[in-house]
Amino acid sequence: MATDDDDILTGPVPKPEAEPTQSERMKAKTFSELVDKTLAGRTPPAMSADDRALLEVATVIRAASGNVELPAARRRSLVEDALRQAIGGTGSQVSGSAVPITRGRARRWAPWAIAGGSTLVAAAAILMLWLRVPPKMPELPTQASVPTEWKSRPTDPLFGPIARESAGDATTRIDAIFADRLDGYRGRRLARGRKP
Amino acid sequence: MALEPATSVTELEQEQRQVEEAQAGNLDAMRPILERYAQPLYGTVILPRLGDTASAEEVLRDTLATAVEKIRRFTWQGKSIYPWLRQIAINKVYDVHRQSKRSRRLADAMVHEVPMETDPETHADAQLMADQERASHRVRIDDARVSIAERYRQAIELRLIQELPREDCAKKLGVTIGTFDVLLFRAVRAFRKQFGERAESGESDGD
Repeated sequence: MATDDDDILTGPVPKPEAEPTQSERMKAKTFSELVDKTLAGRTPPAMSADDRALLEVATVIRAASGNVELPAARRRSLVEDALRQAIGGTGSQVSGSAVPITRGRARRWAPWAIAGGSTLVAAAAILMLWLRVPPKMPELPTQASVPTEWKSRPTDPLFGPIARESAGDATTRIDAIFADRLDGYRGRRLARGRKP
Repeated sequence: MALEPATSVTELEQEQRQVEEAQAGNLDAMRPILERYAQPLYGTVILPRLGDTASAEEVLRDTLATAVEKIRRFTWQGKSIYPWLRQIAINKVYDVHRQSKRSRRLADAMVHEVPMETDPETHADAQLMADQERASHRVRIDDARVSIAERYRQAIELRLIQELPREDCAKKLGVTIGTFDVLLFRAVRAFRKQFGERAESGESDGD
């Protein structure tokens, strides 16, 4: 008779001679492979809750029979981890591969010491900038004297007061201003960098 | 081969010196003690109560760390430190079961106190305790095995105790590998049921 094996952990266990269902065969194969891996020391981290519960029972049986040994390397590593873990919470001394308490403390304080040092350096730099004597400004060279005809200047000296009867003759005055400015321009161009 | 708990007077004196050194502040002195007792704690105290190697290793590490942290509280009474370490380990195992709320049946099934006091003349308490505990686990396992079908008992014996390959187990039982897988699967289920029921009835009897 085929058995219903939906409830693996709490359901009734069939008799050895009972015909298994396809589903039970599959579950049994998966479990057997898990046992294989566990015996080889490669228990997979992920498995169903039912498989885990059954594998725990299998491991208990093996452990009670004295079949489960902690490898020497793993044992040493756990002892070192435990010593290291304990040192974090006590004030005693150790040597060897575990970290001494003084070094542990130094490690805890190191970031704060670096942050404090950096702050001090920054504060000192700001203070120095603030308190330093301002450097003497180099004296600016005196402005080179240039001829009047190279400078911007009023046109009054060219005409003087404009008489009422000449008020409409602006063209002549503009021509005169243009000629005057052109003289200055020519003088500047022909000087070719020579000082006047 | 793992180190066994202290058995001789010389070993016990050496252990006492190491404990005193550790209590004086030299935690390095704890290293040989931890290395000596890591395997008995793992194999006879923690793993049989958890059934999960990864969790068992974590509990062992926490147990050893707690022992180092609290070594100053330990009082030497002319006996090995092992019972003290064992008690720490059992408390840690129960913490795990409380936190994960899983397979408490399994832990309960393994609750049986080994006598804490042994003959002080022999100074062999640590070795004795580990042996007693191992034997006690075996008796409980055998008791549960007796209650399951003969075919299931054989499957467990061949595969989990003798650790024979599946093919060999199937051959010895005269079945195919697929059928052997089903037998083992049912055997472990039946064993689990028996084991848990025995623990429950033991509790109700005030065991």
